[in-house]
Amino acid sequence: MADKTMLCRCEDVTLDDVEHCVTRGYRDIEEVKRYTGFGTGPCQGKECLALVATELARLTRQPARAIAPFTARPPLTPTTLGVLASDPSAHRFADDIDDVDGSRDP
Amino acid sequence: VAHRTGEHNVDSSTESVRFTLAGNTVVADRGDSYASAALLAGKRVLSRSLKYHRPRGAFCFEGHCSGCLVRINGVPNVRACQAPCRPDATIEGQNAFPSTNFDVLGAVDHVYRAGMDHHTLMTSASVLNLVVNRVVRALSGLGKLPQPSETAPAVTTASAAIVVDVDVVIIGGGPSGLAAAAGIARPGLSVLVLDEQLELGGSYLTDVRFGRPAAQNAIATAEAAGAVLLAQTTVIGYFAEPGNIRRGVIHACVGGSHARSSESTLLKINARRWLWATGGYAANLPFANNDRPGVLAARAVGRLLVAHNIVAGDRMVMIVDGNRGGGASSEIRRSANALSESLQGNGAWVQTVAVDDVASVSTGSLAGLVGHDIASIELRNGQSIACDTIAVIALPAPASEGPRMQGCEVDLDPDVGGYAVVIDARGRTSVRGAYATGDVTGYQGPAAAALHGSAIASVIVAEIQAEQPVEVSSDGR
Repeated sequence: MADKTMLCRCEDVTLDDVEHCVTRGYRDIEEVKRYTGFGTGPCQGKECLALVATELARLTRQPARAIAPFTARPPLTPTTLGVLASDPSAHRFADDIDDVDGSRDP
Repeated sequence: VAHRTGEHNVDSSTESVRFTLAGNTVVADRGDSYASAALLAGKRVLSRSLKYHRPRGAFCFEGHCSGCLVRINGVPNVRACQAPCRPDATIEGQNAFPSTNFDVLGAVDHVYRAGMDHHTLMTSASVLNLVVNRVVRALSGLGKLPQPSETAPAVTTASAAIVVDVDVVIIGGGPSGLAAAAGIARPGLSVLVLDEQLELGGSYLTDVRFGRPAAQNAIATAEAAGAVLLAQTTVIGYFAEPGNIRRGVIHACVGGSHARSSESTLLKINARRWLWATGGYAANLPFANNDRPGVLAARAVGRLLVAHNIVAGDRMVMIVDGNRGGGASSEIRRSANALSESLQGNGAWVQTVAVDDVASVSTGSLAGLVGHDIASIELRNGQSIACDTIAVIALPAPASEGPRMQGCEVDLDPDVGGYAVVIDARGRTSVRGAYATGDVTGYQGPAAAALHGSAIASVIVAEIQAEQPVEVSSDGR
């Protein structure tokens, strides 16, 4: 096993990857997420978000409070389609999209 | 390298379960999860990672990290630490060929020693790109699809969703959530507590200063007050009412979200108040090879001792973050000191080092190609400490994505563990009707969290009692 400092266990994103990402000009957590894929695995950021954000603040010399988290979306944990399908209202999601129009979390 | 404490062997030597792990028979106790049983059997490598095919093993033992994802009876991507041992189960590793211990794809880790930027992988001739594309597709993906012919039927039907109306829903059944539940239920309000773990008790069960007696006491108090407590019930999201992000429904899954759908039921919970008592997630620290099997969260080492009577290793190095100050850091170190004493009392050798002094974690074998057991930790001053297990003492990261989904304001504060939910002196978040208590507001430790939970309960009770019996919709709809 080569020496690597892992920040995101799910997607194999290392401290070097985040440093590389910052040198390419990505300083925002959403940009780092999209460039490296961190936080997009089974843990959905539970293990890595605070760790990456803290390192990102250090690397970009920003105060920690300036680093906003990435958007949290359901499901919060891997969930079977069978469970989601057991909700009768899930079968009319096309209508819901119209209902929610204009009031969604960005 | 891991062993049971004496008291356990006397208690339950008769209750054993046999299952198959990567072709080997493992004998476990009935109270074990597959992950704790595997650790005890000395089998720390459970799967391989997605990209570099590095060995993966359990880290958090609380169902949050992805270290212990395995295939159980043909169902892929199940967390071994959240699955209780069942007789004759078949557990297989994932993402490895031919085996998790020797995976030829592990070569990727060595070829890309300095890392792999997948954005620049396909910049050559288009014919070569086609080849690379095929290879990448063959390599990627997490596990394999379930096989219909195995014990799991291809199609399962979940029972219909259940809608529940309560005065207060509390997400998290740890020290703060249980204390709040007792305080809110006592005057007669309806309280539902949801907790995703196999057992209620939260951080009581990870902290040797408290342990199961404290958890059982808090559970009994909350139940005696009339609160309804559900373990193995995972909140999967907060769904806003159409047109109103500030009102919505909590969806939770009884039986665990990744249980087969036939074994779980969806709950849709309407509540007058939401109380986030979700605590924190076991966190890692940045040092070389911090993902190696055998590197465990100190919280996990505590949980193994408290909940399973397992001493995780014979020679243990605890790595502590020396860069953090403040009350949260002092509290986590008090907890770690108690853990260290307890491990030493059970025959383990323990030494603590600062993360800034750590150069890397190494195995004794050649480049870690065949053997994966930790042999030593190398320090920056050239010193090498022989050990078999690493325990990472880091502030738990506040479990704040549920509150974030609801719109609650959070703040990144590394000195309390991460994105802590911002609350006022009355426990109120930035969302009307939503409160937070305990470690999700920044690490406090079990004792302070329980006190805070009780205090917030009084606030919520007073507010609800001051309202009309039937709440009138305040948004005019």
